Amino acid sequence: MSPDARADAAALVASARRLFADDPDALGVLDDLDRRLAEPLRLALAGIVKAGKSTLLNALLGERIAPTDAGECTRIVTWYRWADTPSVTAHLTAGPARRLPVRRSRGMLVIALGDLPAEEVDRIEVGWPSAVLRSMTLIDTPGIESLSLDVSARSAAFLTPEDNPSSADAIVYLMRHLHPSDLGFLEAFRDTAAGEARTVNAVAVLSRADEIGSGRIDSLLSAGKVAARYEREGDLGSLVLGVTPVAGLLAEGARTLRESEFVAFGKLAALERSAREKLLVSSDRFVRPTDVVDLDEDTRRQLLARFGIYGVRLATSLVRVGVADSSELAASLLEQSGLTPLQELVARQFGDRSDALKVRATTDAVERLLRRLPGEEGTDVRAALERLQASAHDLKELDLLSRVRLGTPPLAGPDAAAAARLIGGHGTGASTRLGLPADAGPEALRDAALAELDRWRTLGASPLADRTSREACAVVTRSLEGLLSEVGEVGPGEPAAHVVAAGGPVEGRPEGADQ
Amino acid sequence: MSEQTLTPQQDTGHAPRRAVVSDAPQAPANPALAGLVEHVGRLATTAGRTDLVERLLATRRRLQDPNVRVVVVGEFKQGKSKLINALVNAPACPIDDDVATSVPTSVGYGDEPAAFVFRRTDGEPGRDDLVREPIPLENLADYVSESGNPGNEKNLVGAEVLLPREILKGGLRLVDSPGVGSLDSASALATLSALSSAHAVLLVSDASQEYTEPEVQLLKRAMRISPNVAAVLAKTDLYPDWREIETIDRGHLTGIGDLPLFPVSSDLRLLAATEQDRELNTESGFPALVAHLRADVLQRAETIVARSALHDVSFVVEQMTLSTRTELSALANPEGTPRLIAELEDAKAKADDFRSRSSRWQVALADGVADLISDMEHDLRDRLRRVQREAEQAIDEGDPGPIWDQLAEWIDQRVASGVSETFVWTDERSQWLTDEIAQIFAQEQFELPRVAVGSTDGLLDPVERLPDFDPGHLSAGEKIYIGVRGSYGGVLMVGLATGLIGLSLINPLSLLAGVLVGRRAYREDMTARLTRRRFEAKNIVRRYIDEVTFQVSKQLKDRLRIVQRTNRDHFGAIADQTHRSLSDAVLAAKQTAGVYASERDQRMQVLQGQLRELEQVAGRLPALPAAPDQAKAVGR
Repeated sequence: MSPDARADAAALVASARRLFADDPDALGVLDDLDRRLAEPLRLALAGIVKAGKSTLLNALLGERIAPTDAGECTRIVTWYRWADTPSVTAHLTAGPARRLPVRRSRGMLVIALGDLPAEEVDRIEVGWPSAVLRSMTLIDTPGIESLSLDVSARSAAFLTPEDNPSSADAIVYLMRHLHPSDLGFLEAFRDTAAGEARTVNAVAVLSRADEIGSGRIDSLLSAGKVAARYEREGDLGSLVLGVTPVAGLLAEGARTLRESEFVAFGKLAALERSAREKLLVSSDRFVRPTDVVDLDEDTRRQLLARFGIYGVRLATSLVRVGVADSSELAASLLEQSGLTPLQELVARQFGDRSDALKVRATTDAVERLLRRLPGEEGTDVRAALERLQASAHDLKELDLLSRVRLGTPPLAGPDAAAAARLIGGHGTGASTRLGLPADAGPEALRDAALAELDRWRTLGASPLADRTSREACAVVTRSLEGLLSEVGEVGPGEPAAHVVAAGGPVEGRPEGADQ
Repeated sequence: MSEQTLTPQQDTGHAPRRAVVSDAPQAPANPALAGLVEHVGRLATTAGRTDLVERLLATRRRLQDPNVRVVVVGEFKQGKSKLINALVNAPACPIDDDVATSVPTSVGYGDEPAAFVFRRTDGEPGRDDLVREPIPLENLADYVSESGNPGNEKNLVGAEVLLPREILKGGLRLVDSPGVGSLDSASALATLSALSSAHAVLLVSDASQEYTEPEVQLLKRAMRISPNVAAVLAKTDLYPDWREIETIDRGHLTGIGDLPLFPVSSDLRLLAATEQDRELNTESGFPALVAHLRADVLQRAETIVARSALHDVSFVVEQMTLSTRTELSALANPEGTPRLIAELEDAKAKADDFRSRSSRWQVALADGVADLISDMEHDLRDRLRRVQREAEQAIDEGDPGPIWDQLAEWIDQRVASGVSETFVWTDERSQWLTDEIAQIFAQEQFELPRVAVGSTDGLLDPVERLPDFDPGHLSAGEKIYIGVRGSYGGVLMVGLATGLIGLSLINPLSLLAGVLVGRRAYREDMTARLTRRRFEAKNIVRRYIDEVTFQVSKQLKDRLRIVQRTNRDHFGAIADQTHRSLSDAVLAAKQTAGVYASERDQRMQVLQGQLRELEQVAGRLPALPAAPDQAKAVGR
């Protein structure tokens, strides 16, 4: 999306502000929109209770900030934004925001509400000087399906509000196995995330992937297969843009590995095989008093808490096969944890679309506000809104993508798959869209794009096509044209067709494509 | 049940793993009891009382195979199959990181390892026949797991694995159930109906996290249906914080009831078996679970069986004593015979009354079941009508076309949830009715010297296991439900088609017309179509609800009829046998009149011999074992 779209959206908000000058409620909504447009992408981490949301958040930050615990831990929606200095603020449902003390215990933040009852706190905002937060705001949510119903309700109210678009731009949904409630939640999020337009803006993470194979050393391979199956078949495919396995604890440990821990793993690796296997047979055995290894119980307990039994097993075997120092170990562990593919998936799917997602949220919110106005008031704002909606091609791409993913007509079969790829279903890079290798030269890209353009124009112009499929073809054509303008000149003799003739097949086009 | 398990079991030699499974079987009091049953059976055969012999045969069958079913339930991927494998130390149930169990699998004792699947042959509805097909044990995964049999496309009702394992010898059957994804689904319904025939339930949840809301709901429902529920915290080897989770879970459990919780690690137990490591076995937490299965499940079931066997034996002895003693006293004291006969005739008349249809217990039973059926139908109708009303409201509020998928799913869930509730409720009520009838029977039992039958203890057992799980009572409900779902797929198609008719008419031809006629008319047309779509959608919902009500109430009615029939047969048999004893006694007393003096002495000697023997047996009868904790069994 062009940067102007974001500016246009800001202008839309500004003009709406004049219209609602005496409506404090609407002004509050518009303030929120202004902030949202100015901010980086808001990425929410959601999932059923104990899915490992806070752990993954720490792994993404590369720092253990979010408190994690064996029991249910996160009970209030917590925002992590970029700030120069650490700060913790509690936003109340009624009344002014309140600054809370920044206290840390063993690295993790201690959020002390003091005399504030949890139900009066709307959200907690943590300002943190972490480079990751410059490009996205992370939101940690309480688990759904919690036994304390009000905690689940708080998450639901935040992520899938009944009468408003969600405050999150996109979502990383963590699940351990596909559970019916996971599907229910994702459907609800899809329906509210960007208004009625139904954009798919979630990716799913098979979290705690190390546990899927009972902590065996090949657990993550197993998890990868499970994730691939979920993505391929079933209902999940229509609700998320991708599924990837992540061992959150391992990733968190890898991002924060200490030299002392590397030394400890070295000692474990140096043990004789049968002694080592005996020690690593279960978590209880690992922390039991023993003198076979020169590590005191507390150190071992710490290792286990930080890496899990799978992490300890993996790190030990990595050291055994010759990892030389702590940074190399951290890199290997990170690679095994699956965090990097997740980061790539998020960047690919949401990074380039963050403008589109924000503009969509803005237009939806403004549209909702305008509905409150009677009759013909605010015609200019309405016109601006319509202009923005009509011109924003990215929004149309998202619309079509969600329809294709849902399996609803207009397109079917291989056409649908190709269309999904071309409009950025697998990522918005030019080579990804065209299904070419990442290092394809501009010539190859241009040729492929021209061939595709031709095919889709023909498809759209077919007399058998109904209106919806013609519209779908138009969206794909438009994406391809945008792509061509990026990679190079449009070939000679090509019309700069924004309008697709609704008549018969266009003659001479195949020859044009062959050039 | 399998033929193998009915045949007397020989010692199969020492399984190599017995050293680890230190829980060697303590021989139950059964051999002595079985000998007693045999002995009394011979006496009854000599006396020509075939009815009593039959009764004792049934007793012997129960003694030989108490058939104690322990159903393992829980959400999927919690380690249910592995738990069973670890309990029996054999790969009985297929396990996989990804795919899950799709067909209930029962693991029981057999001298040779073997596996079977149960397949339903398509008979006429209501009268289903099951075939038991042997399959190679190593191919079991092709039949019972999601990968080999996705969505149970092979249409299997269940599978059975037989293994020569000590722990299974007492008649224990471990049943691996497909995971419950959500409470409001057909799978949850199938699980619930399996629970109603189980002696005990193990709810498995892994140590990765505390109980979730659906798990607690499942626990609560299980406790209402099954008398003996225990919780298992699995995979403790994997999670260092399992003790914390255990504490939290115990906290949740205290809110529900008095349930034991066993933290276990199946992997450690299996490893302990390969390494012959006793210490590791202790660490796995399994000894406590095995002890629970033995003491609180097997022992309890054995006690019930032993009690009912003792009841049977003393009943038979008393019945036979009655006729022997009458004849003897008539012979010894001929002048008193007319009065004796009069008394006996009187008792016989009462016994006649007692077994007639107008006796109080018969009436109470018939009325009770009739009431229960109408209450159940009303309950079901009420719940489903509420669903229907809400669905109609939702349809009226919007256009049913685009949201039909979600709407259909929602209706499906609500219906399953309603049916589950009705099921649990009906089950509770039928248990209650059985208790009630037993009490009336005990009160009404007319005075007959030393005949004690009315106690509910002996009765609870046969009734407890009336809907037999393995031969597929469980899945009769399931099948019908799937049947409904099948036709429901058709219904869904209709819904989509109507949705599409609305759309396709706006295509090329009508588009032109639309422009000509103008916006207004077009809009009116849309409204008319919308109304029609709503009407169609409501019709579909109504038809679906109707169908479900019909099928489910048929199913539940059948279940209740089984309850009625079992009760009637059980108490009716007692009444019949008493009646026959009295008739025999009267006949014997009458016949004494025509006996010559010389024969009389001889006859009296024979009778005295018989009586002495009967009294000896009666004297040898052990005291009734203490009743198992009935509060636990009934107080839910």
